Amino acid sequence: MSEKITFTVNGTPRTVDIDGGEKLIFILREKLGLTGTKRGCDDASCGACVVVIDGKAVKSCVFPVKKLEGKEVVTIEGVSEGTKLHPVQKALIEAGAVQCGYCMPGIVMELYALFNREPGASDQAIRDALDLHLCRCTGYEAIWEGALLARKYLAG
Amino acid sequence: MQLKYIGKDITRPDASGKITGRVQFLDDIKLPGMLHAAILRPDLAHGRILSIDTAEAEKSPGVVKVVTGAGCDLVYGDNIRDLTPIAVDRVNYIGQPVAGVIAETLAEAKAAVKKIKAEYEPLPVYTDARDALKKDAVLIHENSGDFWHLPGIEPIGGTNIANRYTVKKGDVEKGFAEADTVVEGEFNYPFGSCSAIEPHGSIAWFHEDKTIEVWSSSICPFIIREEVARVYGLPISDVRVHIPELGGCFGYKSDITVEQTIAYLASQVPGRPVKWVATRKEDFLSTLIGHGIRTRIKIGAKKDGTLTALKTEVLHSTGASADTGVHVLIAATHNSTGTYEFPNCYLDGYSVYTNTPPVGAFRGYGHQESQLAMERMMDILARKLKLDPFELREKNYLGPGKVTSLGETLHTTNGDIGKCVEIVRRAVFSSPKKKAEDDYYYYGRGFAALMKSPKGAPFSSKSCYLKFNRDGSVSINMGGAEVGQGLRNVVRMVAAEALKIAPERIRVYTEIDTQFSPWEWQTIGSMFTTQGGRAVVKAAEKAIAELKKTAAIVLRSEVDRLDYDGDYVFVKSDPTIRVPVPDLGRGYTFPDGVTVGDVVHTTSDSRLPLQSNPDENGQGRMGITYTFGAQACEIRIEKKTGKVIVDHFASSFDVGRVINPVQIRGQVAGGVMMGIGASLHEELKFDGEGKALNPAFRRYRFPTLKDAPGKQTIEFVETPGEIGPFGARGIGEHPLVGVAPAVLNAVYDAIGIDFFEIPLTPEKILEALKQK
Ligand code: FES
Ligand code: FES
Repeated sequence: MSEKITFTVNGTPRTVDIDGGEKLIFILREKLGLTGTKRGCDDASCGACVVVIDGKAVKSCVFPVKKLEGKEVVTIEGVSEGTKLHPVQKALIEAGAVQCGYCMPGIVMELYALFNREPGASDQAIRDALDLHLCRCTGYEAIWEGALLARKYLAG
Repeated sequence: MQLKYIGKDITRPDASGKITGRVQFLDDIKLPGMLHAAILRPDLAHGRILSIDTAEAEKSPGVVKVVTGAGCDLVYGDNIRDLTPIAVDRVNYIGQPVAGVIAETLAEAKAAVKKIKAEYEPLPVYTDARDALKKDAVLIHENSGDFWHLPGIEPIGGTNIANRYTVKKGDVEKGFAEADTVVEGEFNYPFGSCSAIEPHGSIAWFHEDKTIEVWSSSICPFIIREEVARVYGLPISDVRVHIPELGGCFGYKSDITVEQTIAYLASQVPGRPVKWVATRKEDFLSTLIGHGIRTRIKIGAKKDGTLTALKTEVLHSTGASADTGVHVLIAATHNSTGTYEFPNCYLDGYSVYTNTPPVGAFRGYGHQESQLAMERMMDILARKLKLDPFELREKNYLGPGKVTSLGETLHTTNGDIGKCVEIVRRAVFSSPKKKAEDDYYYYGRGFAALMKSPKGAPFSSKSCYLKFNRDGSVSINMGGAEVGQGLRNVVRMVAAEALKIAPERIRVYTEIDTQFSPWEWQTIGSMFTTQGGRAVVKAAEKAIAELKKTAAIVLRSEVDRLDYDGDYVFVKSDPTIRVPVPDLGRGYTFPDGVTVGDVVHTTSDSRLPLQSNPDENGQGRMGITYTFGAQACEIRIEKKTGKVIVDHFASSFDVGRVINPVQIRGQVAGGVMMGIGASLHEELKFDGEGKALNPAFRRYRFPTLKDAPGKQTIEFVETPGEIGPFGARGIGEHPLVGVAPAVLNAVYDAIGIDFFEIPLTPEKILEALKQK
């Protein structure tokens, strides 16, 4: 039984048909063509699918679309403006954090949410946020440094 | 050599596409009319298929076709043809495809798969080579002796041995007779999963015109093309393989695996593309797993520490097919000497069929498994001989004039292990240990030297196509798979240096497409920088020669009187007589429109020199590249929990030449972290029935940020190599090789207990402390 649901994605209101049981990642990737959000696991453990909903970093692979009505979603596609990268993205690149890049959209969204809420987030807060993400390539060193650099950029 | 671009932190060309989520990975691809596949896997690891009832599934909504292996006679494999795209009459491991449903949507395919009923007659299950080798063991492949295989592979028909590989150097009995001391040990490196965050997947499309198109998250497009063409009886040129962006590999996306399964499903619905992407569980159990290697090792030495003999037995539980694992065993066996010269060796390796998913490449490719044994034994031997472990090692390191187990004599250009050792020694051991323990922790430090000596198939090559554009910019196309390691930036930087033009003026390929990409065997073995980089230099040199040829006409000179500086081709004796390079790119056009000279585009390829095949003792010059390194760590063991905390990890490798400092540091930091994961947490576990116990990220515990070492010291030695561009050697896999022995040696230093297997979980440490 399908129903309609309306929410905002990267600033644009969207209405989609849902069956009810889908998770947000499915709507984003399959219905809206926003494939920047990645799937890496089946048990909500990798963080590759993280998007921001009403300011909070959320795993889209477990977020039920039913709860989406009226919410504001930001995905990796909504973070940079044209060719201008967000400071979090710029910092991660400069720190050498991008290898295969599959984990990156989730990590960018995690830090984007964190720094929007708390521009001067403590080392511990950054550590706790990043610890929710799996990256198989970098050993986390460059991601950590990129996050610290992003904090510096965002502090002005 | 004054270098302008190499050695600089130049940002990789794919960074912004990846950080914005814009690049396309396999799962992001949508094709017109695309169908989706879901696959039934057996609920037992070994058994005969009695029946498969697909009636309900066929009636399920959205289902286009249900496919089983009944009547499928396709076999494949690049080394040993012991793979089938789908189980035919028997299942040999838990993740094997038994039936596939092709449907309009993935949800419909998955729903229908649940309706298939398969019945099996169970057979005994062997997950460990030791059991599969027992006299009365059931044969996993009854006709294994008849499989097609590459020369040099020796299956033993009538047993579960898929390959026996032996290296004999000198006279091992004599070597042990000369020894004053003999030490022995047995080590285990259990199954693991490469676990890239991007799961493996594939799309196959059998076109109306009989051509086949495949997309895969694989690093071997050309092997896929050749094997699919062979199996379906097509000219190789009629199969086209695309490789989109890859979300990590670490080994298991090499060789041809799932692609044949998806192609087989797609062959049943010609005209429509069929897509399949592994669930995480399938990624654990239905592609390739890693390791499963037991190493028994016996070392003879004189009182002063001179090594006299080495006997190794490597037992590889290779899984249900050996095509992808056979060379892992070979590498593990001949590299079991580690970084040491043994005048007398008897190294014996067995690939054994077992009832687990096939074992394949895992970053390190056999090296970390047997060098765990060697580097632990070096510490044990030093203790027995009452020698300083560094001195014992130093006495025996391979180096110029020394001869490896394969009989290859090393040269200065193979690198300097001593310098690597000095670097990590300084970083970790320069002052005495501060304390042995306090109220909360035991403290320890450990060391391991390492050697990585990859080689490719004898015909392995990497090629390059390089094209000058009319504005002097350059486009480069290659077949090397970018899995995240940054090879596209290596290509760009090497080309910039060789062509003397800014990297910003060089655009490298993104997607690989066998219809356009130059041939490459596959991107494995940390060989791209060496071999691919060499191809780039060759193509650049040819292009410069072309530019000069046209310039000679324009300047009414001769080629050997001309020089090139990136901006101009000019007369050596009078540089004011010159022509700008952009004017030569597609031949030179005079003001009246008349054009002379050729379009400047060149191709090249680069093989590793295979000088002779190994003789019956495994001796020969086999085109191997050697890289040496050293690793050390400082750890703490929490008394209450038994948890090992790595405070500092130091690595040094003689890479010949650092191409890009940020990237190479990233390779090492990531490799070390993977090694720490393997040492302390990671193990893909199977129960006695061959069922996987932890095929999910939450249960297969791989490291997060909080497991990262407090500090990593990463430094390089640059003794130029002979083959690679500007002396560079590979680095991708090396950082993993010495990690486990360094950690286990540190654990001994901390608590005085020798461990012989990984992962060293807190429970194992607490248990051992209690025993003590
Ligand atoms: S896909 Fe892994 S946490 Fe959502
Ligand atoms: S960059 Fe590859 S998983 Fe993080």
